[in-house]
Amino acid sequence: MIALDHASRWYGQVIGINDVSCQIGPGITALLGPNGAGKSTLLKLATGQLRPTTGTVKMFGMTPFANPKVLRRLGYCPEIEQLYDDITGREFVTMLTIMAGLQGLLLRSRVSESIELVGMSANADRKIGGYSKGMRQRIKLAQAIAHDPDVLILDEPLNGLDPVGRREVSMVLHDQAENGKTVVVSSHILYEVEQMTKNILLMNRGRLLAQGDIYQIRSLIDKHPHHITILSPQARALGKRLLDLPFVLSVRMDPLDSRVDLETREPERFYDKFPEIVLEHGIVVNAFESPDNNLEAVFNYLVNG
Amino acid sequence: MTDFCLFKYATRDLLRSRRLLATIGLVIAPAAIVMLLKFGRHGIDPVSIYHVFTPALVFGFILVILSVVFGTGAISQEVEQKTIVYLLTRPVPRWRVLLPRFLAAVLVTSVTSCLAALLLAVVLLGPRHLADAPILRDLLILPVGAAAYGAVFLLLATLIHRPLLWGLLYAFGIESWAPYFPGIQKVSLMAYLRVLAPHTALESDSVDLRDMISSLTPAAISTSTAWWVLGLVTALSLAAALLAFSKREYVPREDAE
Repeated sequence: MIALDHASRWYGQVIGINDVSCQIGPGITALLGPNGAGKSTLLKLATGQLRPTTGTVKMFGMTPFANPKVLRRLGYCPEIEQLYDDITGREFVTMLTIMAGLQGLLLRSRVSESIELVGMSANADRKIGGYSKGMRQRIKLAQAIAHDPDVLILDEPLNGLDPVGRREVSMVLHDQAENGKTVVVSSHILYEVEQMTKNILLMNRGRLLAQGDIYQIRSLIDKHPHHITILSPQARALGKRLLDLPFVLSVRMDPLDSRVDLETREPERFYDKFPEIVLEHGIVVNAFESPDNNLEAVFNYLVNG
Repeated sequence: MTDFCLFKYATRDLLRSRRLLATIGLVIAPAAIVMLLKFGRHGIDPVSIYHVFTPALVFGFILVILSVVFGTGAISQEVEQKTIVYLLTRPVPRWRVLLPRFLAAVLVTSVTSCLAALLLAVVLLGPRHLADAPILRDLLILPVGAAAYGAVFLLLATLIHRPLLWGLLYAFGIESWAPYFPGIQKVSLMAYLRVLAPHTALESDSVDLRDMISSLTPAAISTSTAWWVLGLVTALSLAAALLAFSKREYVPREDAE
């Protein structure tokens, strides 16, 4: 769907993205990185607002810049808060959906459906000038999905939403992805995205640091031991067994004999072996977690080393 | 349907509440000034007053200022508010995004300046004696001026940053003075508009500096030349603006970073 091949974009002496190559297909992909990482530049290249300085950017095999054939199949929710404050939310969505080529009954039904989907039916006929930040995010999402695009690109779509709103928007995006759409979501808030997808593109200072499944990326980082925490009433006995495993680097138990913290460089082998040990020795396990499998940890490892 | 929709929303945008008030103010201003100064009581011929006020206030100020504001605003307002992103990521050729906005700007400028001229004539002459002044000719030429100025300022907005500032400098610098100076007269659109809509000067003992300079140079622009030049300026500026808008990037740098 979206393909960047050695794409770079400079603004005079300032770099936006540098030699980025990646492909994004159906499903939800999160574009992650701190502010200034180049996320917005990448999205603006993909949505045909910018041209790459070098390299190529393609969507559906075509150059997206000012290309109606590409834009017809694209829904874009920009980061900006500014909207047309003097018109209603419904007029806003209608205007942009007309520009996407819909008209008549189909236009009206698609506009109403998308407004309902983002939970804005009650406020759609109010002027946008009176909207809260969360309402603005929702109506922006409505205009992006109203014409049923194949690719949905959303720049920080969860900003300004309350927890309920975040969950609702996440559900809308999941529905889109389940219907075979390509959904790209940029964010600098890792835990928000973590709930949405495990497929990530990680950027920092204009470069693409990593792409793929968060667990696969984490497993590739062998420089850093993988941390695992196990809660068990038999922590001491469990720790002794685990220490015998050749791929476990260290084991630490708390004084209350209820928790084991270990480090391993081969998490997959550990995950294979662990159930065997527990069952063989009849050890009760109350909880099992790996704090390193979350995005925050992956991000810190890749960005900070 | 897309074109009509864009035209409708662009027109509505131009006539938002605050702007509408300012526009109504401009429509009323020439007539209000005439009424406040009570020219009629000084025994001056109302037709002569019309000939003085229409070129100075309607052509020279209202037409030009509205053309600058609405012509540049057709695109620069969207860029400054960053809402242009919504228009540029829709499957509509960019020239078709810009053209309805230009037409809306020309329509609003034309209607406003024509209403100002008409109201001025009604206040000065009364509804029954409108034919004494060249009001019909002015109502024809004002939209021509709105189109020419609108296209020039639209081109300016597609090419440079802060087009409003540069547009105002051009409008009240070159356009205010060039028509009166030999040599540079032909770079001013107002010079051609004055040929198409000439107004006789008020007879007076004192002479305006610009009229004095103007009197030194005989009228060198024919009516047909004026039509051709205004037509060409409108067409070429509009075409160049549509082309530039189709090719250029309109993403503020701070956003892109």
